[in-house]
Amino acid sequence: MPLRGLLGRQRLIKISLAVAGFVGFASSVAAHPHVWATVRSEIVFGGDHRITGIRHAWTFDEFYTAMAVQGLDTDGDGVYSKEELQPLAQVNVESLKEFDYFTFVHLGKDDKPLPLKEPVDYSVEYDKTLLTLHFTLPLETPLDPKAKEVAVDVYDPSFFVAFGFATDAPVKMTGTPAPGCAAEVQKPDPESAADAKALSEAFFSQLGPNSNFGSQFAQTAIVKCVTH
Amino acid sequence: MRDPLSRAPFSIIRLFLVCCSLIVVASSAHAETKPTTPFGVPVQQGAPSAFAPPQAAPLRAHGPFGALLSWVADTQQGMQRDLATSVKRLKSGNAIGAALALAGLSFLYGIVHAVGPGHGKAIISSYVVANEETVRRGIMISFLAAGLQAVSAIVLVGVLLIGINASGLQVNAWSNQLESVSYALIALVGLYLLSTHVMRLWRRLRDGPAVQSAQSRAAHSHGHHGHDHHDHHHVQGEACDHIVDARQLAGPFSWRKVMAVVFSVGIRPCTGAILVLVFALTQGLFWAGVAATFAMALGTAITVAVLASLALGSRQLALRLGGANATWANAVWTTCAIGGAMVIFLFGTLLFIASLGPARPF
Repeated sequence: MPLRGLLGRQRLIKISLAVAGFVGFASSVAAHPHVWATVRSEIVFGGDHRITGIRHAWTFDEFYTAMAVQGLDTDGDGVYSKEELQPLAQVNVESLKEFDYFTFVHLGKDDKPLPLKEPVDYSVEYDKTLLTLHFTLPLETPLDPKAKEVAVDVYDPSFFVAFGFATDAPVKMTGTPAPGCAAEVQKPDPESAADAKALSEAFFSQLGPNSNFGSQFAQTAIVKCVTH
Repeated sequence: MRDPLSRAPFSIIRLFLVCCSLIVVASSAHAETKPTTPFGVPVQQGAPSAFAPPQAAPLRAHGPFGALLSWVADTQQGMQRDLATSVKRLKSGNAIGAALALAGLSFLYGIVHAVGPGHGKAIISSYVVANEETVRRGIMISFLAAGLQAVSAIVLVGVLLIGINASGLQVNAWSNQLESVSYALIALVGLYLLSTHVMRLWRRLRDGPAVQSAQSRAAHSHGHHGHDHHDHHHVQGEACDHIVDARQLAGPFSWRKVMAVVFSVGIRPCTGAILVLVFALTQGLFWAGVAATFAMALGTAITVAVLASLALGSRQLALRLGGANATWANAVWTTCAIGGAMVIFLFGTLLFIASLGPARPF
């Protein structure tokens, strides 16, 4: 049995495990964003005090902005008009569909994100330095935040885009919110029980194409209501 | 009795440094003589009044490594902002100071950026471990690959944006295509290495131990006759033991193999470099972007070279751990030759499949 003597099966297994572990760890620490987006979100309420959708304003960093608007001043007058920028908004919201709009709405403790409809009222705004993408994501079925709190997670699972809520006015409610309801950004709690899960998921998912590394950087807006 | 290749990495490093400094000087001169403004409009100082950009709160990750991960992300963002500032300062402020700052920042950005995926760390490290490569050749391969990634980014942005006036979205699309091609080539290189190494292993097992030791004796005495790539590999405990022959599973050095690895890794343009290049171009300072790209490639190359050397170092360490045990040395060489090739193949395949997914919105 030359093979057994040659390889020393147990040693080989140990070496392979060590290598796999190292590669997994190294790449999970290594994933890093290339695009930064500052998020401002509005929780849109309908006439019946239910949440009908989320309206996002994502402001991108200067590098991505330069890349995105390059070549879009089609008439060459130095001004990026709404008409010239609309194709960009179109491309953005269309390709966002495959990525679930990087927006995950949860009701209470339910893990499964609620279905969203195609974006409406989308546009991009360019101030000669930064680009902001505006769009509204209607919920398939309006939500009543009085019964259970509503959480809106914004993140890119692959962490190519780093989303962060704005320091100033990150979330607000529009329309006719139910009295007693408030929306705020949830502070990450380093001691929370979900962390161990997040780590093991991040650790192993790095080796596959469906990486969920970015979930560790999820930004969450919470809508809570006090009932009297 | 040094093989001529061993000198190569150092002349490449020197060449890189010379290129960088030349381009930085050229770009600062360019900036002084031609204070261009983007889109032919006056440069705005500070944030425009109509729209105040929101400030993002620093990212905070959950989990035990949250602090470290957040630090990595924050550092990246800080560096990217500083890069943007120093490109803009080329036009307004002290151009030479800004050029030096840009070169330095790009270099640091390259070092940090290369820690992220896609710069061939895993591929190059696995390749040198799976093959009979030395640290010097590992360094050379890292520099060649990083240089090619830089050239690929410059050619892509230059041809599409300056040459045919395409849009930034098209640059993105092309960059993604090249990425897929690169991953497919990496998978093919891995498959080739894996099949040759497995073939050698199979032949060795079939021929049995008698032939093996005869072969290894032949190879060993061969070494004394001037084929020094056998000479300088001998480590303690292994040198006098003539039955360590699994090393021959790992193929000897060949330019063809090295170039295949360099090309497959290097054809993928560096994403960070594309961003800097496009940004510099919109500021009317394409050459500053080119300089920054080379400085970045230098940083990337250093990180990858360090990791490849560490990988080779751990192979040496593993060999040494076994002392004079030939079975152990054989096991290490077999693991490296087969495992390294397998890692390349699997990484290439996984990345290729992942890259075929839907186009990214941003």
